[in-house]
Amino acid sequence: MTSAVHLRNASAGEVAAILREPSPPAEVLDARLRAALSTRLRAILPRRGGPRHRIDGYVVEKGAPSFTGPFLWNARAARRVLGTPAARAVASGVAGDPLTAAASEVDRLATRSVRPGARPGGLALWLASAPEVVRSLCALEAAGWATSLLGCVETSSPLGSVAVGIPDAWFEVPGAPVTLHGRRDAAVGAPSGADCRLSLLRLRDGLPGPRAVEGLALDGLVDALSAPERPLPARVVGVWPDAGVTLVVAFDGDVARAAAREVLVAAERLARPLQTLDSVPEAA
Amino acid sequence: MTATHRTARATRKIEKTTANADASTDATYATVTAGLHTHLVALLQTPLPTSEDDLLGALRGTPALRPAVDRGIASGLRAWLEDGVFAALGAPSAGSVRLSTSSIAGSAPRGGATALLRGSLVAQLVRLHVAGVEPSDPFDDAACALEASGRDDDLVTMLCDLDPDDHARLHAEVLAHASVLAERFPRVSPRWMPRCGVRQAIPLAGGGVQLRGIVDVALGASGGERANVCLIEVTTSVLEARHERVLAYLALLETLRTGETPLRVAAMSTADGAFVVHDVTPTLLAAAVGDVLQAVSECGGR
Repeated sequence: MTSAVHLRNASAGEVAAILREPSPPAEVLDARLRAALSTRLRAILPRRGGPRHRIDGYVVEKGAPSFTGPFLWNARAARRVLGTPAARAVASGVAGDPLTAAASEVDRLATRSVRPGARPGGLALWLASAPEVVRSLCALEAAGWATSLLGCVETSSPLGSVAVGIPDAWFEVPGAPVTLHGRRDAAVGAPSGADCRLSLLRLRDGLPGPRAVEGLALDGLVDALSAPERPLPARVVGVWPDAGVTLVVAFDGDVARAAAREVLVAAERLARPLQTLDSVPEAA
Repeated sequence: MTATHRTARATRKIEKTTANADASTDATYATVTAGLHTHLVALLQTPLPTSEDDLLGALRGTPALRPAVDRGIASGLRAWLEDGVFAALGAPSAGSVRLSTSSIAGSAPRGGATALLRGSLVAQLVRLHVAGVEPSDPFDDAACALEASGRDDDLVTMLCDLDPDDHARLHAEVLAHASVLAERFPRVSPRWMPRCGVRQAIPLAGGGVQLRGIVDVALGASGGERANVCLIEVTTSVLEARHERVLAYLALLETLRTGETPLRVAAMSTADGAFVVHDVTPTLLAAAVGDVLQAVSECGGR
């Protein structure tokens, strides 16, 4: 079982200090773990023309897919996508406040949708077709997300900056209809540095559940899988501002192996309905 | 000039300031440094009017006169709550007790589906108001926002299924509340970091008890030297005694959530435009702890 340090009411400066703590010597992801994980996932979820699966922290924690029906955009679903660049704009000084930054991001995406090649079903097209009222609501929700993110970590100090609003980590399993998704909202460390280990931060809603640590470990694993040439992340920090709780998972090879096992358990759960259907004998 | 002379002079100035305040003059005087190293000077920003006409003015007050953030009180309040929960329930299993604002302060008399929809639609209007939108048709805009919110799908279905008479009545009610809201809730500057629907979820007793609340509008950011977070509860009913308890409860959760006491809390009614504003004081927070422990002991008695 992966362990974590539990903090209560950690200030933005304290979270930033945790992210900046010196990391243990660099350690890279074991190539055998990466290969074994891919092989096992191909066996559990063979490519048969069925739906693609996505395994993320939510799936690992809850044991169920993030959503079962067709995905539809709404203000809640869009808030992180819009709020993350809004937080980045405020942290870099491009915008003065989260609401103005979020409104600019909404306008930017809506404008981009008229260009050729806009992704069907994407947020940009949805925003472009939505009434002004909905766009304003999305900006407000995103501003709330950005304010929470900026409030939970001090983005700049003489000790160095925290990169806010970095892209998520993705790992497409070769030969299997499954994508691993690691969320990350802020990081410390140079992603291109040869021996620099990243410290990742993830902002979460509500209360940490009993398997919150496993979800954070998955975020670290996907980060490592997405950039195998880079050292493992040093730690993954989860912040639950609704509850005032912070969990810090020190990430290493053992935690990566435990997270890989959780991925396999989640994949088996996702595969179970398929196997159940396969095992039903055809009517005579 | 010796230090003694400077102190004596500053003291005389303070007396003068007090006299001025008693005379209700416009200017407010303060020292630039805490140690009375400077003369008393008139603040450039005179206090905002705290009349019954200005909700945000009464909430925000004069920034320079805000109290320092109290970062020590949260742990004491939490310890008090933890002791009380243990005395009432022992060690409850995870998630066995969930308390919300209605558990603490009681809920409004049930008004059926129309009342539920009215509250949700007005909540959307508050969001749009804070986002700077001036609705052309408040009812349609609120319904559109409710549908796009992604949080209340059941209510959207309920709205679609409403019979024409109820729909017409709801339409009229929402327009009336929208009118009061537009008139009595001032515009909110984006620089005040407005957030709507801020969720609070505080675990106690290792997660055995969960205290939950939702703040309709929060202004200001925590983390500074002075308290500047203000919480606003917007209700479609007339203000009652229970709203005072709701405000104290939300202030308690905010203190436990951030480790800092908010500056002020307010409740505003869109039924008649009335509002109340309270400073968040240790007394207010202690009253909220009492309410929570009362609700916890009632849970234990069931």
